[in-house]
Amino acid sequence: MAYISMGEAHRRITEYLNRFSDAVFSQDGLSLKQLFAVSSDSPTLLSLADALNVFQDANRVIKQSDNYSQFGEIIVPLFRSLQNYRLGHLVDSYQAFEKCANAFIQDFRNWESAWALEALYVIAYEIRVLAERADRELASIGKTPEKLKGAGSFLMKVFGILAGKGQKRVGALYVTCQLFKIYFKLGTVHLCRSVIRSIETARIFDFEEFPVRDKVTYMYYTGRLEVFNENFSAADHKLSYALTHCNPHSEANIRMILKYLIPVKLSVGILPKNSLLEKYNLVEYSNVVQALKRGDLRLLRHALQEHEDGFLRSGVYLVLEKLELQVYQRLVKKIYIIQKQKDPSKAHQIKLEVIVKALKWLEMDMDVDEVECIMSILIYKNLVKGYFAHKSKVVVLSKQDPFPKLNGQNLEALSWSAGHAAYSYDYGLIHAS
Amino acid sequence: MNQGGSADTITTLDPNLLEVADSNQGSASSYYTPSGSEAVPWGMHRADNCSTENGILSSSSYHHNQLPEPPSRNIQDGLNVTSVSSTSSLGATNVPQEYNGFASYPNTNPYGYSNTGYAGYYNGYQHQSNQSYPPPVGAYQSTDIWKLYEWRLHSSTAAATSLQYQQHYKQWADYYSQTEVSCAPGTEKISVSTSNPGGPLPGVTTGYSASFSQPPAPFIPSWRPETSSSQLPSVQPGAVISGVHDGYWKHGAPVFQNHNASLQQPQFQKHMDSNPTYEGFQDQQKTACPQGSNIQYPAAHQVPQSYQSSLPTVPQTVTPLDSRRVSKLQIPTNPRIASNLAFGLPKTDKDSSTTSTAAKPAYISVSLPKPNDKVLSHDAADSILKPGVFPKSLRGYVERALTRCKDDTQMAACQDVMKEVITKATADGTLYTRDWDTEPLFPLPNVDVANKDGLPVSNSCFFIVEEQKKPNEEKFSGGKLEKDYSLNSLKFSLSEQRNTNKNSPRPVKRQRFAEGPDAADNGDASSDSDKEQSLTAYYSGAIALANSPEERKRRENRSKRFEKMVVAGLLKILIGMRLLSRGPVRKLRNAIYALHSAPDPATVRPEEVLEKALVMVQNSQKNYLYKCDQLKSIRQDLTVQHIRNELTVKVYETHARLAIEVGDLPEYNQCQSQLTTLYAEGIKGCHMEFSAYNLLCVILHSNNNRDLLSAMSRLSVATRKDEAVKHALAVRAAVTSGNYVLFFRLYKTAPNLNTLLMDLYVEKMRYTAVRSMSRSYRPTVPVSYIAQVLGFINVLPRSETGDEKDTDGLEECVEWLKAHGACLIADNTGEMQLDSKNSASSLYMPEPEDAVAHGDASLAVNDFFTRTSS
Repeated sequence: MAYISMGEAHRRITEYLNRFSDAVFSQDGLSLKQLFAVSSDSPTLLSLADALNVFQDANRVIKQSDNYSQFGEIIVPLFRSLQNYRLGHLVDSYQAFEKCANAFIQDFRNWESAWALEALYVIAYEIRVLAERADRELASIGKTPEKLKGAGSFLMKVFGILAGKGQKRVGALYVTCQLFKIYFKLGTVHLCRSVIRSIETARIFDFEEFPVRDKVTYMYYTGRLEVFNENFSAADHKLSYALTHCNPHSEANIRMILKYLIPVKLSVGILPKNSLLEKYNLVEYSNVVQALKRGDLRLLRHALQEHEDGFLRSGVYLVLEKLELQVYQRLVKKIYIIQKQKDPSKAHQIKLEVIVKALKWLEMDMDVDEVECIMSILIYKNLVKGYFAHKSKVVVLSKQDPFPKLNGQNLEALSWSAGHAAYSYDYGLIHAS
Repeated sequence: MNQGGSADTITTLDPNLLEVADSNQGSASSYYTPSGSEAVPWGMHRADNCSTENGILSSSSYHHNQLPEPPSRNIQDGLNVTSVSSTSSLGATNVPQEYNGFASYPNTNPYGYSNTGYAGYYNGYQHQSNQSYPPPVGAYQSTDIWKLYEWRLHSSTAAATSLQYQQHYKQWADYYSQTEVSCAPGTEKISVSTSNPGGPLPGVTTGYSASFSQPPAPFIPSWRPETSSSQLPSVQPGAVISGVHDGYWKHGAPVFQNHNASLQQPQFQKHMDSNPTYEGFQDQQKTACPQGSNIQYPAAHQVPQSYQSSLPTVPQTVTPLDSRRVSKLQIPTNPRIASNLAFGLPKTDKDSSTTSTAAKPAYISVSLPKPNDKVLSHDAADSILKPGVFPKSLRGYVERALTRCKDDTQMAACQDVMKEVITKATADGTLYTRDWDTEPLFPLPNVDVANKDGLPVSNSCFFIVEEQKKPNEEKFSGGKLEKDYSLNSLKFSLSEQRNTNKNSPRPVKRQRFAEGPDAADNGDASSDSDKEQSLTAYYSGAIALANSPEERKRRENRSKRFEKMVVAGLLKILIGMRLLSRGPVRKLRNAIYALHSAPDPATVRPEEVLEKALVMVQNSQKNYLYKCDQLKSIRQDLTVQHIRNELTVKVYETHARLAIEVGDLPEYNQCQSQLTTLYAEGIKGCHMEFSAYNLLCVILHSNNNRDLLSAMSRLSVATRKDEAVKHALAVRAAVTSGNYVLFFRLYKTAPNLNTLLMDLYVEKMRYTAVRSMSRSYRPTVPVSYIAQVLGFINVLPRSETGDEKDTDGLEECVEWLKAHGACLIADNTGEMQLDSKNSASSLYMPEPEDAVAHGDASLAVNDFFTRTSS
């Protein structure tokens, strides 16, 4: 840290204070928001933090002028937070920032118009980021990380302030998204429910009114929740919405969305092109897709095993595992096609032992009973039309459409390509059948 | 002052009493008033502690103990003498300095207490007792002076005050050397400091924070001397302890220190919040200083706080005792012990029984008029004079009197007068009978005169107490002091032991306290005040009854009861600290008991007995309910003794297995969660087996994918390779894919008790399987096949030969299918077939006749009892 003279330090502090009070008095949310971005590492704030460390008595400067001192409750802790952040004391920095944020929302509540929403966004973001870092610091010294939880309850408070009538309500979704991020990180996803309920059922919110950015984030997180609940059509809808409205240039975000959308699409029988997987570096799915195309059970199991940790962590493991039935269906269909080529008249009767043999080629050691069970499940789940004759151990396929397409596949495929014009060139979809 | 002169031996006690009472009042005036009984003993106790510290090793701990005081002291001084703007920094920097200063301290002790060792102390103790009745007080006195002396040595930072203290020191030295001393000189000094109204608030807070670290330290040294003292009066527990001293020492120290550390912060904050009481507190502190008792103040202050917050955990009935115990959990300071001492002393001693009663009213009366000095203290006065504690009319009287005052000084003087009035009323028992509404107001005191006379605030406090003491003094001057005394000393040690008992580790509570002290004290202030009121009522009743023979008898009984509790409690704490490795209990069987209070040590079994008990349970032929009870009692004994080792794991594992065997899932879940933490601590056991159980439980019981995912992702690579875990994972795969064939194969090959957990899912699995079959098979499915695939055959362990097995299984399968609404037909060979087409629409899940709502038939109550009572 370069040496700063007292005069210079004083100058920087007063400059900051001037900017702060000017922004508030002119109701300039954009310039105000920069002043709160503690973790942004912006040069102005860094030099201010240095100045604060040199010039210890900043509080006196604040008290000197009425213009400043009326924001003392915000600025004093904010200065302390900046100072501590600069010194790497993240827990202290968080605590001071929380005080500052609390003081700010008091004022924010009293401001009639929503001019300071931008600044509030920054505060909501900062408090989460600082809490995450503070928790990391706490964990490293062996204490219980609890700051993120605290940030969560603070944001809940902010949500309460925004979730009313008036201009401020458009900010509610941003705060909701920050809350989602916290809850997903903490693993307390069940807490999302109350927020979602108030967003989706409350009449005061017209979802389309919210900024696109927030809508995409919101849809992404709620889509993920639906994946957890294996509610695939809802998940598909939400994640597709997120994908269509996501900024095409933010590839990282697209990748995050696709990471969940692809398993969902797979489970309704829509497979992505390999080029898409490669473009967004989602190659962990390519073997799964291959297995689905080929009816290769071994490949699927192998792919699942290979990426087990990653799939478990992102929460798609169980979804992918359920694709097994589709792989069986593909396998039976292949046998059917081959039989049809040989002798179309007997093609619809598939002997159980043929399937067992095919599985043996795949080094899947399954006996007749087990395969019989799987066939029974396939028929039961309507992946195969037909019946099973126990006495003769034969699967009798329906003559019409023996391998029906998955539920709602066509319809979703349509909405998929229509709403997704921007990506259709590389996300060309092929159907499993 | 005049009265001060007339008091004799007992006077020594007064400053202590006064100081403690004051401090309590100041800090917690809003709710704390009547628990003065607690505070009174406090000072005394402290005394005894200090002296023991001097006597024995405690030099290092003693520094700790002292360390925080000087700074706080200095700050106070700084407030009084100079206007220190940045008091906080002063406090902070002072700490280390003072600390160094103290390092040399024990050798410089001018009173010769230090090097004589404990025995010496004890003798001195005895000796003193001849002169003045309450022995601990004597000791206390000496330490006080001695501390004053120390101040003088170390308070070079505050030169102005140090002078003053030196003076004090001399006075007190005199005071000490001759027991019959009027407290006049001391009181003069009081006026000096009290007349300085409060300094800047921040300064005070630093004083507090510095003093927070104090309580644990004094506590530690206190143990050793005390326990050794207990050897002298040949009380049995004493003997037990002695062997264990060192260990205890080691154990005790870290535990409590840690604890205190965690407390520090919240309490500090609490002070910050309560500004009004604060001011009052500050004043109190000042009044207390000149008497030397200020040293104790920080500690005194602290305890009421913790006391307050800990109260919620205290059962209503035994308020005084229990509250003390609980608070000890939080801050096990010696003062607590003292409180017991004062409590225990009078009660155990027939002759001195009146002391307690006399002392208590004294305390109350002192605390009553305390709101002084400040306009602010009106609040305090209000809270003190809350309804129920003192008559409402009295409150009105005080208010009337105070509103006449024109300025602060006048008000202070006025309060002094009032204090006297009320004290007198309390003393002659008219406090509750007098009609305060019509009571004439005293003439407004002339402030100037009062000041000149050096008759300020706490001066009056002084003789108030003295006045109270008079009756006792008569009693004791009456004769066999010597004998009384020895008796006292016996009780004294006893009561200390009782303390230890009260202090016994209740980890849960302590933890809870550390987590949410704020919540705790906020929430229960009201109930506290209730208790206080009842306490006050009790004391006032006691005053009236003090001399009646029945009352004496009652006290005797009570004292006997106390003694019993003391012995029991002592054993318990020692066992709790894992010092007493062999308890008196040798029997293997023990029933679980509800722990509403500290467990009775007489029933706690030591580790090796528990080990045998476990074997006994394992080999027992009795039913589950009996075993469950036994295991629970073993678990309880383990918990009480803080045993967390492989035996603990074994016990929980045994219990968990038994619970699985009979399908007692709640019990199993308890054990599982304990085991999870135990394994996490690195204690060896059947980790794999139980991760498999855990996994199965998650799979089969919670329908929550996220739980399942997290449970799976938590498994390490090594764990995944374990047979049982592999099996559990395979079961999961079978369940999620609905593969019933695989499921029932795994069911048959399950290791350990996995089968039993899978049992809980069998019904569901069979049902979906039959549904799926009836949908996919045409035209029929042989029942024999179903029975084979769905595990009806080859599952029942009790069937003997192959044929019987099959027919049994078949019959069971037929029964099951019928119960679930399947259509069965016989084909031409007579074999039963499932008519799949008809069954598809007729299948249903039967009502809880053999399956209960949650799909877990094994939890059906009747079934449970029939199976377990075998």
